[in-house]
Amino acid sequence: MTVRTHHRLCLTTILVFVVATAPAAQSAETLIAATSDGTALNVTIPIFDPGIPDDPSAFRDLQVFPRIRRIEAKLMPFLLREILVESEQWGAVRVEADPDPAAELQLFGKIVRSDGDWLDLRIRAVDATGNIWFDKIFSGQASEESDKHTDDEGTPVFQAVYLDIAVELAAARDHIDESAVSKIKGTSLMLYASELSPTAFSGYLSQGDDGRVRLLRLPARDDPMLKRIEVIRNTEYLFTDTVDAKFREFNADLARTYKAWRELRRKFVDYNDWNVKFAQSRGGDFKRGSWEAIEHQYKAYKYDRVAAQEQDRLAIAFNTEVIATVNAMEARIAELDGWVERGHLEWRGLLEEIFELESGL
Amino acid sequence: MPADFSGLWARDYSRGDSVNQVLRDAYYELAKKNYNNGQAVPGPSQRDVSMLIPLARLVELITRTDQLAISQTKHEILVERKDDFAIMCTFFNGVAKPIENAFGKETCGWTGDRLVSVQDFMDGLRVVNQFDTSEDRQELRVITTAMSDTAPMPFTITHYYRRFERVPGRFECIETLSRKRVCGIGALTP
Repeated sequence: MTVRTHHRLCLTTILVFVVATAPAAQSAETLIAATSDGTALNVTIPIFDPGIPDDPSAFRDLQVFPRIRRIEAKLMPFLLREILVESEQWGAVRVEADPDPAAELQLFGKIVRSDGDWLDLRIRAVDATGNIWFDKIFSGQASEESDKHTDDEGTPVFQAVYLDIAVELAAARDHIDESAVSKIKGTSLMLYASELSPTAFSGYLSQGDDGRVRLLRLPARDDPMLKRIEVIRNTEYLFTDTVDAKFREFNADLARTYKAWRELRRKFVDYNDWNVKFAQSRGGDFKRGSWEAIEHQYKAYKYDRVAAQEQDRLAIAFNTEVIATVNAMEARIAELDGWVERGHLEWRGLLEEIFELESGL
Repeated sequence: MPADFSGLWARDYSRGDSVNQVLRDAYYELAKKNYNNGQAVPGPSQRDVSMLIPLARLVELITRTDQLAISQTKHEILVERKDDFAIMCTFFNGVAKPIENAFGKETCGWTGDRLVSVQDFMDGLRVVNQFDTSEDRQELRVITTAMSDTAPMPFTITHYYRRFERVPGRFECIETLSRKRVCGIGALTP
């Protein structure tokens, strides 16, 4: 046994790969049949863009509480995920810390407005080929039903918004035929493969000027390199699912505090409505320049500012209460992400080496 | 920021204006103006008095606080006052950003080392607060002016505050959302 052959066997053993026989050209449909569980697309939801303005002085005008927005940006994808899973129209639906360039279908979200009573959520659905399914803002008011719930877990806040997104996504899926789904899945796999082993797989894809990715051809069903890639991808999914499980724990831990925050925010909205009525109802009754008129003008402004400042205080109280959970979660996710990144580097090196040995390049 | 006002400040009652004294001075000024205008009746007019007193009452009301807690960052100065809203100045890239609601607007600016906060309320009422410190930063001067186009003249009073440090208490408290204020002995974690 030569050193070269021994090295090859070691690599193969370490990676637990199945070494297959000579490859033959396959169609996209055949490949999908061999590499995935049918036509259900897997969905990836990276944590949302919290929509925090660059200008900190705009926070108050826009009613943005940065730290709470960042928490909402982590909670909301999880709530959307639950609705998509319940719809039973999709494959695995995963919440991830970062976007996945090789995801079959990815939902990018941005919080445009969230004040406890109203939610505007911008969602952009993009498949692996770069095709944008839709890019629109979904809006809704917190349902009264959700506020009646006394349990701390699974409160379907803004459920209507997430349902609208799920309906829109399903409708977009209905417009895509099975051949297109196969292409999306094939493209996704090739994107993942070419990232791990560019030498072996970069020739299967091309990118147009519009940024869209085109699947040129596919490797054989039993291509040994492809099988290795699939083993690695499945291993990575295990880690992704561990991160996802952390998000679930996070959601359960924060649900009660977040609900209290939302209820208080709604009270402030009611209070502000009251203050507007207060200002309008009696303002014209007093003689201009009189003490009553001046006091009224001052108090209308004062009550509004006191309410806004009380919200700031509560936002700090919210942070105080949840900071330990958030820090623990972020540390764990960073740890898992670090593991995957380190694994990627090692896998990439090993795969390139194996390809070199097998192809004699 | 040209000056740092952060800290706790307690009113120095040995210095500063009394509302009654300032009001008497204002009456004198108004009377002098009337005299110069050739009015026969001595003293300020009834109308001037009735329009100046509301401003004096407002200034008396909003300067009643005996303590100020000022926090200051690169982006924000917050002057917390007992029983009133906190005066707030926000800045972005060094430029002051007004705070506005349906009932008024707050704008800040600097005149040298002096911070000027202008609050415009409905119907032409305006309150201006000016803050500056002594060189050793142990004394804070606050000049408050109320003005309105209905009043014959602005009403201004000056108060002084001395810096103080809060003595640490036996209990440490934190604010939480669902459990409200939580206190204990020693450092607290939520």
